[in-house]
Amino acid sequence: MDPILTIAEASKLIAEKKLSPVELTNDCLARMKALDDTLHAFILPTEERALADARAAEARVMAGVAKGPLDGIPIGHKDIYNTAGIRTTGHSRLLEDNVPAQDATTVRKWAEAGTVLMGKLSTHEFAMGGPSFDLPWPPARNPWNPEHFTSGSSSGTGAAVASGMILGGTGSDTGGSIRGPAALCGIAGIKPTYGLVSRAGVLPLSFSMDHAGPMAWTVEDCALLLQAMAGYDPSDPASADRPVADFVSGIGKGVKGMRIGVVRHFFEADNPVSPATLAGINHALDVFEHLGAEISEVKLSPMEDYHACGWLIISSEAYAVHEPWLKTRLNDYGELFRDRLALGGFIRATDYVQAMRRRRMLCEQMKAAMAGYDILVSASQATEAPKITEVSKWGSMEKPSLTIPFNLTGHPAMSVSTGLGAGGLPVSMQLIAKPFAEATLFQAGHAYEMAVGTRKRRPMMALAEAAE
Amino acid sequence: MKPSVSEAEFEVMVKQTGLPLSPEQKTTLYDAYWMLEAMIAKVNTPMPREIEPAHMFTTEVR
Repeated sequence: MDPILTIAEASKLIAEKKLSPVELTNDCLARMKALDDTLHAFILPTEERALADARAAEARVMAGVAKGPLDGIPIGHKDIYNTAGIRTTGHSRLLEDNVPAQDATTVRKWAEAGTVLMGKLSTHEFAMGGPSFDLPWPPARNPWNPEHFTSGSSSGTGAAVASGMILGGTGSDTGGSIRGPAALCGIAGIKPTYGLVSRAGVLPLSFSMDHAGPMAWTVEDCALLLQAMAGYDPSDPASADRPVADFVSGIGKGVKGMRIGVVRHFFEADNPVSPATLAGINHALDVFEHLGAEISEVKLSPMEDYHACGWLIISSEAYAVHEPWLKTRLNDYGELFRDRLALGGFIRATDYVQAMRRRRMLCEQMKAAMAGYDILVSASQATEAPKITEVSKWGSMEKPSLTIPFNLTGHPAMSVSTGLGAGGLPVSMQLIAKPFAEATLFQAGHAYEMAVGTRKRRPMMALAEAAE
Repeated sequence: MKPSVSEAEFEVMVKQTGLPLSPEQKTTLYDAYWMLEAMIAKVNTPMPREIEPAHMFTTEVR
């Protein structure tokens, strides 16, 4: 088996006709067959479709009509993204036999870009209930140590990308569901600006907090994937009718002169992070400074304010989505999702509206705080991955979330791996930019990755397979 | 932590939701309800009347 390539590397080799998309796909399939009985990243592999996609891509490349940087690249979709003719379950018994007639807008866009569909990926039930052991499919496991949690809810995407079963995949992020698994699986993942990426055809959890976005091994790969999924879509009422920026051309320009604000109270006081997470962030700030950025500290409202608003909005909106099934099929849900969701039934309309009013205040405060900065830096996750059997049902509500502030305000935010911490498990940082300034995030994140070389080390189990 | 409402009061709240919860499920939710109460208290502290609009909508349907 060949070494695990990034999208940028594979794309270059494919364009130069030095790598066949079929060969690349077969490598990913071999890795999937070797690892997925342990990792459970896939709910439904689509091997025949993958090989057909790969052969079509190869034919285009050989005919000189390749579609672009994603042509022939193996990807997967979180199983809340509708795929025409392919089962889409939300990792739930309630949709066990659901076969959509249409692709989600983003699924269609990636297919049109020439990607190779490897299959549907594990999630937490309806993007909120996990890790659950009482569903028709087991939860995904962390490739750095399968006894440990991937975080969620884009758990299968995190595990599949980190282990090289796919080169990139879709995630969704309502309170941190892209950035969490990206952090704990040691990859990159971006929650774009609210409205940049269509959610049409993606199973909803919370209308005003849901974001769709990509996850991949590197920041650069995330930029390539986002370029192919962003854009106005009248089918999503929240979609922003504006031109899509060029996310790729700024990569490599560095951070010289960039103004970086550190939200230190988020990760040192409001939800103190592990020693390795803190060391990783501090080292990253040193790197940015060394590369010519200006670093200073910025203060926002306590993270608990964002957390309270965010959870009340998510719980209310998710309850509204699921109430009919809660009343008629309560026990078809897994225990975790059912109990987390049912709490939403006790939130009064006035509390929801007050949360929305607070949200407006927090948005205005964030806008003012960011005025003097190009990006902010915080943590993505407080600690290394816990054991999967030790994740508390209410854990995500008990401590203020490091990721939810930017679902609430809609700012683009990206998790970037800063290396390995306790137990050889990944740690990370979070970069945040102004609305629709994803290109700045990619520029900064890529500069960091190039400077420190964290992208050279894959999970041992994936490397063992690659070596065979 | 304990919720501010009694189990009997919570029983009424459950009835208002219309959810067919088992006794065990009610206990689980009752034990977790304090977290929701803390969040609700946080968004209900006094705030200036002028911070509107909390919501917006677009007349035009695309």
